[in-house]
Amino acid sequence: MKDKIVITGIGVLSSIGIGKDAFWQALEEGKSGVKPVTLFDTSKLKVKMGAEISDFNPGAILGEKGLRNLDRATKLLLCTGKLALDDARLEIDDINSNAIGISIGTTVGSLWSISEFDKSALRDGPHFVNPAEFPNTVINSPPSQLAIRLKSKGPCATISSGFTSSLDAIKYGIDLIRNRRAQIVLAGGVEEFCEQTYLGFYKVNFLAGVKGPELSCPFDQRRNGVILGEGSAILVLESEESAKKRGVDIYSHILGFGTHFYPYAINKYEPQGKGLKKAMKFALEDAGASAEDIDYISCAANSMQDADAIETASIKEVFGKKAEEISVTATKSMLGETFSAAGVLAAAATVGAINKDFLPPTINYAQKDPVCDLDCVAVKSRAARINKAVVNAFGPSGSNSCILIGK
Amino acid sequence: MSRRVVVTGLGVVTSLGIGKDEFWKNLIQGKSGISKVESFDVSNYSRSFGGEIKNFQPLQFITEREIKRMGRASQLVIAATELAFKDTKIDAGHLDSDKSAVIIGTTMGEANIFEILNKAWLERGLEKVDPFLVGRTTANLLSVNLGIHYKLGGINLVVPTACAAGNYAIGYGFDLIKEGRVNFAICGGADAFSRIAFTGFARLYAMSADICQPFDKNRKGMLVGEGGAVLILEPLESAQKRGALIYAEILGYGLSCDAHHMTIPSEDGITRCIQNALKETGVRPQEINYISAHGTGTAQNDKNECIAIKNVFGEHSKKVAVSSIKSMLGHCMGAASGIEAAACCMAIKEDIIPPTINYQTPDPDCDIDCVPNEARRTKVNIALNNAYAFGGNNSCVVFKKYER
Repeated sequence: MKDKIVITGIGVLSSIGIGKDAFWQALEEGKSGVKPVTLFDTSKLKVKMGAEISDFNPGAILGEKGLRNLDRATKLLLCTGKLALDDARLEIDDINSNAIGISIGTTVGSLWSISEFDKSALRDGPHFVNPAEFPNTVINSPPSQLAIRLKSKGPCATISSGFTSSLDAIKYGIDLIRNRRAQIVLAGGVEEFCEQTYLGFYKVNFLAGVKGPELSCPFDQRRNGVILGEGSAILVLESEESAKKRGVDIYSHILGFGTHFYPYAINKYEPQGKGLKKAMKFALEDAGASAEDIDYISCAANSMQDADAIETASIKEVFGKKAEEISVTATKSMLGETFSAAGVLAAAATVGAINKDFLPPTINYAQKDPVCDLDCVAVKSRAARINKAVVNAFGPSGSNSCILIGK
Repeated sequence: MSRRVVVTGLGVVTSLGIGKDEFWKNLIQGKSGISKVESFDVSNYSRSFGGEIKNFQPLQFITEREIKRMGRASQLVIAATELAFKDTKIDAGHLDSDKSAVIIGTTMGEANIFEILNKAWLERGLEKVDPFLVGRTTANLLSVNLGIHYKLGGINLVVPTACAAGNYAIGYGFDLIKEGRVNFAICGGADAFSRIAFTGFARLYAMSADICQPFDKNRKGMLVGEGGAVLILEPLESAQKRGALIYAEILGYGLSCDAHHMTIPSEDGITRCIQNALKETGVRPQEINYISAHGTGTAQNDKNECIAIKNVFGEHSKKVAVSSIKSMLGHCMGAASGIEAAACCMAIKEDIIPPTINYQTPDPDCDIDCVPNEARRTKVNIALNNAYAFGGNNSCVVFKKYER
């Protein structure tokens, strides 16, 4: 018998709110995190917008000590971890530290550090790089720094699978618990907003604002690319038994998981959504649920022309008639595309929706597109009871993952 | 469901040989794969040696068109996979995409592409940076490129847990097969020789000026290497059914985190990691014949690893053979524990333990049997593969000679 996995704590740092309560409230109000980029100069580019966490003050959450040599992704994750632990009423001490694990999805979280370190060596010579910044160049740096900060001595894993990283990290965390490698796992993801990533998305023509309005408007006819964002979220996972033993509140159950990589091409969406359909089917199977059981889908739709249409068609195929009744939301309309962090941010949003009885909206929705004709909870949130919800993540290089969350 | 998991194929691309046979022959002869660094200009560094693979010809494995579209780390891992497929006599086209996994570990991902971009950025300005290359930089592309090359779907992940990454990948593949989620797993690690890694380790004063001498009193540090390694994992039944050669059985693994320091390994974390591996597998210390050490050749690592081995093995610590093949290959980063896992499998299959070369002066802090300078013929029934990493991400995988 597999352990039932529950969520007992949530930490969120997002462009629309810090801490889960602010985040959930902002979702309900349909706030947008998109604003002109302030972290670097965009004057030479055709695009200017991003979903930065503009009021990010790590010292206020962590205290000022020990932050000096850490990069932005690491600081984001450390703050998120602190919020998640407090929320789960979990204190890590000598007795339980070996039983606490970390599993974090990130793909370009260390990109800024890698690039700056290398450029400094090229510019000033290899003897003049700051040795304290070298550890930031490894991709597992943010999760490892979190383990150091929290003194959590169980397994510490990092997962990179692009757009699905944080959902895959949640699954890795679930497996750590089920295989008795950890009792409690802090699972989630982080991506920072930085010039390198922004330019990367710009150079591969993924950003909105070149061929149309600079707007994150998933499912809308005007969509023409993503608004890049940043964020970090951590779910505290444990078995139901462990949560009961600790006497803590349970936010939600994680009922199932499905993933399927479909080999197609780098940075191109496979037009038929073959992998995404499989991921959703596998998640339903894993949960022992049917399409009829699902009330809500938190979509990966990111305002790319093909992505949103593919997700719509895939949902219709997997859910059949039921797709007409299911409400779907593209939280990326508010948060922008946060890449590796997107899956867990959508999961954290969905837990809020389940607990606060509302459907988060897809904002910026104005012009209907016939190929994106699901009920996307346009512009304004709605009150609704959700029993079982699906959270999707998928990307243009073939990765697709899906989790099922229940009351 | 709980199934036995076996290793049925090995593919390695290293400075000591491409393909497991050449690699193993050189390894047990105690040869060195270390040479002058040639892939970038090291004239303004105080160090100049590394473990580059000088004779790697990607065209033997991948088309020219593909080579242009991927970095060297992806090329190394695809080459290793091709060799592993040949070794296990499986045609990738016959695999079931719903029941397969590709799990690859790495430290730096496609660092070489970053290095090209960063150089272009500094020298010619941002506008001149090749947009095509920008989309080829992310670490997840190691497993993605592999999946696309073989048109193989399924579970596809990169586990970038730095220098323990290969072991993490093998461990997760083991879990997936054991519980029946997949019937076939391609697991391992890859890292290309990286200017960024070379710069960093040089600046940390962690790098030797000439040779790598793990456990030697006068050891002067590690050397950066590169490589790719892949193990084919499958359930015992499927290996038996197709009459595959079984190198070893994987009994399980242990993980732990130091939660102490980003670059200084802790004896406590390593001790707990080995203990977790033994606890999970039910193996007693006296049953272990060989430990493939992390053994980087830095003062701190080797000392702390030896303390941990003594903590766990007590009196038996002097009787178990502990060698570091990093003495021959340098530290191949995310590929290292994958390569070392392949060496464990070969040691079990051939009953030979590869040596720690360059060993001259005993160190009282490292008073273990490091199989100095010459390979040893002895029965190897159970082997541990130790790997530690930046961030204190520790891992230890347990391999056993296959018995019915």
